[in-house]
Amino acid sequence: MKAIYKRELRAYFKSPLGYVFLAAYFFVASATFVAINMFLTGRTSLTDFFTYVSLVFIFTIPVLTMRLFAEERKSKTDQLLLTAPVRITDVVLGKFLAASTVLLIGVAASTIYIPIMEMYGTPAVAECLIGYLGLFLMGLFFVAFGTFMSSITESPVIAAISTSVIIFFLWLLGLLGLGNIQFARVMPLGIEWLGKALDWVMDFISITNRMYDFTLGTLNLVPVFYFVSLTGLFLFLTVRVIERRRWK
Amino acid sequence: MIKIKNLTKKYGKKLAVDNISFTVKEGEILGFLGPNGAGKSTTMNILTGYLSATSGEVSVGGFDILDNPIEAKKKIGYLPEHPPLYMDMTVREYLDFVYDLKQVKEDREEHISKICDTVKITDVADRLIANLSKGYKQRVGIAQAMVGNPEILILDEPTVGLDPKQIIEIRSVIKKLGRQHTVILSSHILQEVNAVCERVLIINNGKLVASDTPENLGKTISNENKFQLRVAGEERAILDALEGISGIKYVKSLGRKEAGSIDFVVEAEPDVDVRASIFNALASAKLPMLSLQTMDLSLEDIFLEVTGSQDGVYFADVDEEEIEMINVAKGDTDNESNL
Repeated sequence: MKAIYKRELRAYFKSPLGYVFLAAYFFVASATFVAINMFLTGRTSLTDFFTYVSLVFIFTIPVLTMRLFAEERKSKTDQLLLTAPVRITDVVLGKFLAASTVLLIGVAASTIYIPIMEMYGTPAVAECLIGYLGLFLMGLFFVAFGTFMSSITESPVIAAISTSVIIFFLWLLGLLGLGNIQFARVMPLGIEWLGKALDWVMDFISITNRMYDFTLGTLNLVPVFYFVSLTGLFLFLTVRVIERRRWK
Repeated sequence: MIKIKNLTKKYGKKLAVDNISFTVKEGEILGFLGPNGAGKSTTMNILTGYLSATSGEVSVGGFDILDNPIEAKKKIGYLPEHPPLYMDMTVREYLDFVYDLKQVKEDREEHISKICDTVKITDVADRLIANLSKGYKQRVGIAQAMVGNPEILILDEPTVGLDPKQIIEIRSVIKKLGRQHTVILSSHILQEVNAVCERVLIINNGKLVASDTPENLGKTISNENKFQLRVAGEERAILDALEGISGIKYVKSLGRKEAGSIDFVVEAEPDVDVRASIFNALASAKLPMLSLQTMDLSLEDIFLEVTGSQDGVYFADVDEEEIEMINVAKGDTDNESNL
C-alpha cells in the first residue's frame, strides 16, 4: 500500500494534475472569499463561503480521481499491480489515500483565510475549522466516488465527466430536498406517505443538506457518519469491481 | 513447482482455454508455443492470478492461486505481453517502485543494480521510460519480473520488439536465469523455443496439442522431407525425368519464377535422401538444376503435423487439386516476401 501511495502522490506532482486541481481550487476559493467576506458581507463567518466552495469540488475532484484505475487498465500497468503480492484492498487504499492527500493539502492550505479575517475582526475559529472538516469529509466522499467511476471504465475522460455529472445531479436533487419542493405537501390525500417517503429520500441523497450543519459550524455526528460510510461503501465497491473483472 | 489441472477459461461464450493440464518441474525451462490467439497469454494471465479460470485449478509452489494468492504471487515474476511500465517514471524510479511493491527483503542498491547489469539497462537507468526504444522497454519489463528473485519467471513473448543481437542476448539471459529459476516463456517463434527450452508445449485453439522436448519435435519436423527445386527446361520434360525416381511421394509445379525455369515442390518418403537421385536424373536428361533447397518448415507445418488432418491439412490424405491450391498459395506468399 505504501509503495502505491508514494507512486501516486509523486505522479500528481510530476504531471500537471495535482497543480491543476490545487490551482483551480484556490482560484475559486479565494475569489469566493474576497467576494463574499471582503466585499459583500464583510462578516467573519465562513458559512456562505463553504456553501459555494463545496461546489468547486464537483468539477475539480474528478481531475484527481479520473486516472487512478482507468489509466492503469488502458496502459496495462494494472497487470503489474494485480500480479504483485499485494491485496486489491491495499491497491485501492493506496490510490485513494494519495488523492486524499492532495485534497487535504488544498483544504488545509485554505485555512489561511482564518488569519486573514483575524487581521480585521474576531472570527469564531472553532466553527470555521468545523466547516473545513466538513469540506474535507465531503471531498473524501467525492474522491471515493471518483475512484469507483475510474475503476469501471478504461477512459479517464469518461471517468471524469461521469463523476462530475452524477455528483452535480445529486447536488441538484439536494436543492429540491432543501425545501424548495416538498412532496408531502403536493401529494393528494391518501398517499401523503409517498410524498413523505420521497422527501426523506431526497433529503438522504442530498449532499448539500449533509454539508449544511458543517457550514454553520456545528459538529453533528450524523453527517460525519454519512460521509465516512459513503466513502467506505464506494471504496468497497471499487475493490469488488476489480476482483470481479478477473472472472470476466 | 506449478500444477495446472483441467484449466478452462471462457470469455463470454468464446472458449479461450480448453481443459488444459500440465505440470512444470523446479528448474525447468518450459516453452509455450502457439500461433496468435491460441490461448498462451490467457493461460499465463491465469497462472499469475491476473485472470481467474472459469474452472480448473492452478497451484504455484504448493499454494493455490485463488485460496492463497499472496503466497503464490510472491513466487512469481511476470512479464506480460505488454510490459507494464509507467511512462512518467525513470527506469530507476520504476524498479524502486516494483521493489517496494513486492516488499523485497534484499539490499536495494545491490539487488537493483545487479538486475540492471544482467539485462543491460544500467546506462539508461536515469532516463524516462517514455523516451526509451521498444527494445529497452522490453528489457525494463524483464528486469521488473526479476525484482525480488522470484522462484518462477513467467515471460510472455520476451523477445518481441528486440533486434537480432538483443534477441540473442536476452535468450542467453533467460538460459542463465533458468539455472536458478523455473522459467515459462511463450513464443510463436519456433527457433526461439528450440534455442532456450527444455520442454515445449504446443497450444492451438485453447487446446494442448503437443508436449515434448524440442529434439523430439525436431524429429517430427524432419520426417517431413520436402524440397524446393528450380530446374531450367520444359515442365513436361522435367516431370518425366523426376517420375522414375523411387522414394518421391509427389512433385508439384509452382510455375515460372525465373525466366526459362520452373519451380517445383518435391516431397520424399521420410528417411529417404532423394537429392542425389534427383540430381542424376535431371543431369542425364540434360535439364540443369539451378537450385535445390530443403523447405523451411514453419510453425504452421508443425501444427499440421501435430494436429493431424483434424484441424490442419495433412498432405497424404488430400487429393491432388487441393495440394495444388495449397502450394500455389504458399508460392504466392513466398513471392511477396521476396519482394
